[in-house]
Amino acid sequence: MNYALFIIKSALEDFKRSKMQTFLTSLGIVIGVFAVIMLMALGLGLKKYISDQFDSLGKNTLFIAPGKVLQGGSFGVSSFLGNRFDIRDLNRLSRVRSIVGLAPMSSKSGEAKGSIKSDYVTIFFSSSDFADISGFSIDKGRLFDKADVSKRAKVLVAGPKIAEKLFGSSVDAIDKKVSIDNVNFTIIGVLKSKGGGGFGGPDYDSYFFGPYTTGFLFDPQKQFTRFAVKADPNVSIEQVKDDINRAMLQRYKEDEFSIVEPSEIMSVVNSIFGIMNIVLVAIASISLLVGGIGIMNIMYVTVSDKTREVGIRRALGARKKDILMQFLVESIALSVIGGAVGLGLAAIGVFFVQNYFPAYIDLLSMSLALGVSSSIGIIFGVLPAKKAAALEPVEAIRYE
Amino acid sequence: MPEIMFMIKLSNVSKSYQVDEETTFFALRQVSLEIKEKEFVSITGPSGSGKSTLMHLIGLLDKPTTGEIIIGEKKISVLNDDDLSSLRNEFVGFVFQQFNLISKLSVLENILLPTVYSRKELNYDPQKKAVDLLNKFGLFDKKNSFPNKLSGGQQQRVAILRALIMEPKLILADEPTGNLDSKTGHEIMRLLKDLNEKEKITVAVVTHEADIAAYGRRIVRVKDGKLVKS
Repeated sequence: MNYALFIIKSALEDFKRSKMQTFLTSLGIVIGVFAVIMLMALGLGLKKYISDQFDSLGKNTLFIAPGKVLQGGSFGVSSFLGNRFDIRDLNRLSRVRSIVGLAPMSSKSGEAKGSIKSDYVTIFFSSSDFADISGFSIDKGRLFDKADVSKRAKVLVAGPKIAEKLFGSSVDAIDKKVSIDNVNFTIIGVLKSKGGGGFGGPDYDSYFFGPYTTGFLFDPQKQFTRFAVKADPNVSIEQVKDDINRAMLQRYKEDEFSIVEPSEIMSVVNSIFGIMNIVLVAIASISLLVGGIGIMNIMYVTVSDKTREVGIRRALGARKKDILMQFLVESIALSVIGGAVGLGLAAIGVFFVQNYFPAYIDLLSMSLALGVSSSIGIIFGVLPAKKAAALEPVEAIRYE
Repeated sequence: MPEIMFMIKLSNVSKSYQVDEETTFFALRQVSLEIKEKEFVSITGPSGSGKSTLMHLIGLLDKPTTGEIIIGEKKISVLNDDDLSSLRNEFVGFVFQQFNLISKLSVLENILLPTVYSRKELNYDPQKKAVDLLNKFGLFDKKNSFPNKLSGGQQQRVAILRALIMEPKLILADEPTGNLDSKTGHEIMRLLKDLNEKEKITVAVVTHEADIAAYGRRIVRVKDGKLVKS
């Protein structure tokens, strides 16, 4: 009979005879692995959610913001302060040749009165490039164009959620009037849903979008909070950044503006959530430790229960390492079974959570679950197994 | 190469235990004994005489405090634990009073257990040999049973098969009839005698019963840790 197979078979047969004991012993590992894998799945989901949000911006997108947005890998403070850009900056940037799309951003919040009900809304004012740069597309009606911008047309494009809320449906919202802070706008289009909202992301489906010139109605100083820029795909992003930098430096000092790539923001956001996730997983790992101690305890009991068996096996020619292996395989089997069950439960958990959140289990967390649980089997099994291997044959076989 | 007349030789072997700081208990004192090939030896003596200790030493389950044990050409004092395990595996077949079968293994698995621990290339198929032995001993229909479903006599026969699977030079039986009724006990002894006479296997039986000891062609008596001339 194959040696390895025989040892594994011996261990598993032991479990068959004491199902309850096996179950309870493994339970700690089951819970630990379940918690760790579940948290990792949620962390992965969060990461995916964030990167999807940024991906929708498309490549070659840059943001220009007042102040220093990113400092040493984290968010700076001055970006939340008052400095703003104005129409002179817009004109200057529009002359940068490596920029193919330019969307100034400003916003206004206020009470919107629709045909069905009213709601508190936010309007983003921008140029006709905004949809392309930010990855929006039109569902019903049309987007506002350059003519609307130059005419300061009082037109708005609505997110699908707010259109439905105020007018009943996307179709019903088209060509309807909406009054926001006593200014009457005409809704000329409704966007396709972009998702988002819920877990901290902006809920674009609930916003209005309008020409930035129209936005000046609410802002006599005619300012913008930031620019979104589409870079010429044929020019390197570094070159484009350089060009923008040069244009901006004509008016501002080095630290009065930032040029940010979405990927930079994403990596900062990811590293923050990554650290949070590691802390949570570390806390959950404590239950793995407790599970391991449970296994160690039961293995000590098993060793003294089987002292005589050890003596018999030694008399029949088993070496110390054969005995060591036998008990080690048993403790590894205990914790790997626990790990597999925990992983299975986590898979079921993730399956249900996926209805609300893009959690998922990747190959790494799977191999980690099985790797960690077998390591626990080894680490917490080795002392009891050593004790068994060290038994003197003559003492062991006389043991009652 | 000189012919080795003995298969196992004990010279001036003592085994002592430290009871406390001042008292040392001698289980065996200065015992010298040779067991020759193809012998049938009974080792007998009252309980506490040291015969079990003697058997553990012969079976390499224990090491002497002083003195030397030589098996074949090997001095066991220089062997490490792995070597001793291999010798136990290949050289000795144990038969115990309590049968000592492993309860969670089937009859067949119990018989095959020594082959699992063997590091020696076997020149036969152990599975086939086990089945042959089961047939020969009329236990074939029990091969998938577990030990607790067998009678004492059947269990002891399975234990003997387990001792035979590695084709040992020596069968060492420690009170093999102690847990059996006298009829079954004599059956087992006749079986051992058969193995000795037909298969030319050396047999050493430790017993305190005179009628069991009588199966031996030579009887070694132990008293107070010393051999008594027979």
